[in-house]
Amino acid sequence: MTPHDELLDNVAAYALGVLPAAEAADVEAHLQTCEQCRAEYRDLRPAVTAVAYSAEACADPTVGGVTASPLLKARIMRRVRAETASQRKAPRYSPAYVLAAACLAVAILVGLVNLSLSRKLNREVAQSALQSQTIADLTAPDSRRYEFSDGMVVMRGDRVYLTMHDMHAPPPGHVYQAWTLARGAKRMAPSMTFAPGNGGVAFVKLPESATNIAAVAVSVEPEGGSLQPTTKPIAVVKI
Amino acid sequence: MERVRARDADAFEVLYDQYHRLVYGVAFRVLSDATAAEDVTQAVFLRIWSDPALFRDGNFGAWVARIARNRAYDILRSRALHPQSELPETLPIEDAIEETVLANINGERVRLALEQLPPEQREPIELGFFGGITHDQIARTTGQPLGTVKTRIRTGLRRLRAALQETVTV
Repeated sequence: MTPHDELLDNVAAYALGVLPAAEAADVEAHLQTCEQCRAEYRDLRPAVTAVAYSAEACADPTVGGVTASPLLKARIMRRVRAETASQRKAPRYSPAYVLAAACLAVAILVGLVNLSLSRKLNREVAQSALQSQTIADLTAPDSRRYEFSDGMVVMRGDRVYLTMHDMHAPPPGHVYQAWTLARGAKRMAPSMTFAPGNGGVAFVKLPESATNIAAVAVSVEPEGGSLQPTTKPIAVVKI
Repeated sequence: MERVRARDADAFEVLYDQYHRLVYGVAFRVLSDATAAEDVTQAVFLRIWSDPALFRDGNFGAWVARIARNRAYDILRSRALHPQSELPETLPIEDAIEETVLANINGERVRLALEQLPPEQREPIELGFFGGITHDQIARTTGQPLGTVKTRIRTGLRRLRAALQETVTV
C-alpha cells in the first residue's frame, strides 16, 4: 500500500465521520489540494448517506420496524399549526413602513448612524422585525440594552432580542447558536441557531423569557445546533 | 422546502411524512431507545420549522439524517455513555460537494445492500455511523488493526456505492 492509498483510506474514514478532530482537520486540509482524494470523497459520500437510509427500515412498519408514535406527529403539527394560526391573526402593516421601521430599529441597536447600513440589511433582518411588538421594543426608551463588542442584547418586558454586526459567515456545516443562562443555573441552555445576512448583520428574538436570564452567549456550532456549547463562545453578555 | 420556508404548514406535514422514518430510524439506531428517538425526531422537525434557512442546498435527506445523528450523538454524550469519545464536534464538510440521491432510494433496499457486504466490512461501517465511536475505538471493539479497519471501511463503502449505483448517484 502506498502512502497515498493510506490517505484514501483516511478519506473514507473521514466521509463516515469516524476520524478524531485532529485527523479530520488533516484530511480536510489535504482535500483542498488533492483532486484524487476529492473525487474519492465525492464517490463515498452517497454511500454514507445510504447507510443513514438503512436506518429508515428500522422505522418502516411494513418490514416489522419500530415506528414513531402517531402522537408524535400530532404533537409536532399541533405546534406548527398553532404558530401559523397566530401569525395569521397578527396585524398587517404597510410593507414600506415595516421595512423602514425595521431598518431604523436595527440601526439604532447596532449604534451605527451610517445610513449605508440600511442597504446592508438583508431580507432576514427585515423579516425578523416584522412584528409591531418587536419594533416597539427595540425603540422604546424603557428597553434595557446590554452592549458587547459586536452587538447588543435588548430586553423589554419578558422579551429578549440579540443583534450582532460585522459577523463572518460561519464555517461550512456550522451555524451560530445563542445560549442563555437562567438565574441560579450553572450551565448554559441552548437557544436559537442563526446565521448573519450578507451584510454581516444578524437579528433574532430569543424564545426565552427575559425575566429569568442572567447571561446570553453566542458560539459557533454544527448545523442543527448543540445541546451544550462545543466551541468557545464568541460573545458573552452578563445581564 | 421553499413552501416550508414560506411557513406553509401543509408543506411541512408532507416533509414530515416523507422524512420522519429516516430521522427516527437514525436516532433509534444510535440511541436504541424509542422515547429518546422520538425526542430527537421532534427536536429535529421543530428546528427545521423554526429555522428552515438552516438547510441551504444539496440533498435534504442526507442533511436531515446528519442533523438527526448529531442530535442523537449529543444525547449519547450527555448520558456520558462515551466519556472517552474523541469524536470531532463537527461532521464532514459537504458544502462544496453537491450530493444528489435519486428519489427512489429507500431504506429497505439499502438495508439489503448492506447485508450483502461481508461482515468484516459491514460491521465497522455500522459501528462508525450508528455507534458514535472513532476508528481506533472500532479497531479495539473488533480486535482488528487500525489500518485494516480503515481499509475495510473504504472497501465496504465502495462496494455499497457500487451496489446502489442504480439508485444513488452524484
